[in-house]
Amino acid sequence: MRRVGTLQRRVLDILASAGVAMTAAQVRDALGGDLAYTTVMTVLARLAHSGVLIRQRVGRAYAYAAPTDDADLTARRMHRLLDVGDDRGAVLARFVSGLSAEDEKILADLLARIDGEQA
Amino acid sequence: MPGAVLAVALLTLGFAVAGPRLGRRLPPSVAVRSLVPALAALAGSGLFVLAVTALTWLGQFPLVAAVWPWSPTVLRAHDPIPAPGAGLALAVLLVLAVSGAAAAVRRGRALLAMRHAAAGLGTVVVIDSDRPQAYATAGPGGRVVVTTGLLDALDPEQRAALLAHERSHLAHHHVWLGLVADLAAAVNPLLVPTARTVRHALERWADEDAAQQTSRRTVAATIARVALLPTPAPGPRPAPIAGPADSGPGRSALGATGGEVPQRVRALLAPPPRPARAALAALAVLAVATIAATVIVERDGEDLFERAAHPAAVAAVVPPAQPPRPGPAAVPARYAA
Repeated sequence: MRRVGTLQRRVLDILASAGVAMTAAQVRDALGGDLAYTTVMTVLARLAHSGVLIRQRVGRAYAYAAPTDDADLTARRMHRLLDVGDDRGAVLARFVSGLSAEDEKILADLLARIDGEQA
Repeated sequence: MPGAVLAVALLTLGFAVAGPRLGRRLPPSVAVRSLVPALAALAGSGLFVLAVTALTWLGQFPLVAAVWPWSPTVLRAHDPIPAPGAGLALAVLLVLAVSGAAAAVRRGRALLAMRHAAAGLGTVVVIDSDRPQAYATAGPGGRVVVTTGLLDALDPEQRAALLAHERSHLAHHHVWLGLVADLAAAVNPLLVPTARTVRHALERWADEDAAQQTSRRTVAATIARVALLPTPAPGPRPAPIAGPADSGPGRSALGATGGEVPQRVRALLAPPPRPARAALAALAVLAVATIAATVIVERDGEDLFERAAHPAAVAAVVPPAQPPRPGPAAVPARYAA
């Protein structure tokens, strides 16, 4: 049951970032192609049935689309700002950079000291 | 010239060793303002000296010499740097130039991506997310990006400290200063430790600015608290602001005091940094001496190539063009004696 939930979320992600309607075959390919076509189709149908996705007929197949509005787009765009890799990290000034396990211990001690002195 | 080239190499090495130590003694803003121009100058000098050295060898090849033109004989006669050394200089120059170009391209692309991603948003962008994250971007139009996940974990005074820290990055163009240090290190790997010192000093500078607005203790507590926040999503740890050769979590040679984040907290719990004129003077001497040696290399190189380009020298190798003399075949047969 939990796996279905994750798959639903992945399918929604794909359709949301695509911004256009996709057929079941296209969604399956986007997921990596190692899932059964019927599995993907079932998930899409279920989402369309519960009103989360919009289903439209394209030729002989159905295409599914995630509903979008401005707020949704802005939120998605803003969340992309949180993906900071090595290259992006070099052009930003981050408040706290990577720590080692040893650092964590040292910091916990320091914080305890600060809080203790404050009390 | 060989003496001056060696001097540049040794002085760069000296700076590479002394830079981090001296930089750590200086107040952070002074460290950044002195180390970044020095790094740029040293990186430039290194490339320049390598280029001149390589050219004294390349210029000896007839194909190359013909382009200017130079006399390869003169260059060979004065051969300031033996061929294997100059050949090595060329190889090193090419490797470093490619490394520098690659680093610049990657960072240029990342800058554009960030600009595109943040376009149209305000100066402080608050993102609704559980992931604790806060950073400042490069100007113009620099922004502070922070998540609700991070803000919710701090009390109002700590939030003020966080924002003051990030605003200091924007006000003093720290991202650009860090980029100069990065590129200098990409173009001269000896400068990697100094570039790392600059990165640390940039954070310390922002910490001190934030401490002015709140208190040293508040900023120290904010840093420690933020660093210890658990990241909810299972994924890789945030990548550190790393130098070109650094890909792991922040490490320092001073194991006992921990990496850079604990050092920042400790520095804020200690008295404020005081001017260190001796350290600053030492840095200045190293940088100026390197530039002076580079100027000598340039002067010597210019002399050498001027001599090689002198018309008499060139003529000895490439005879001047002579008008064609009519041969016997030019005289029609019936007039031949």
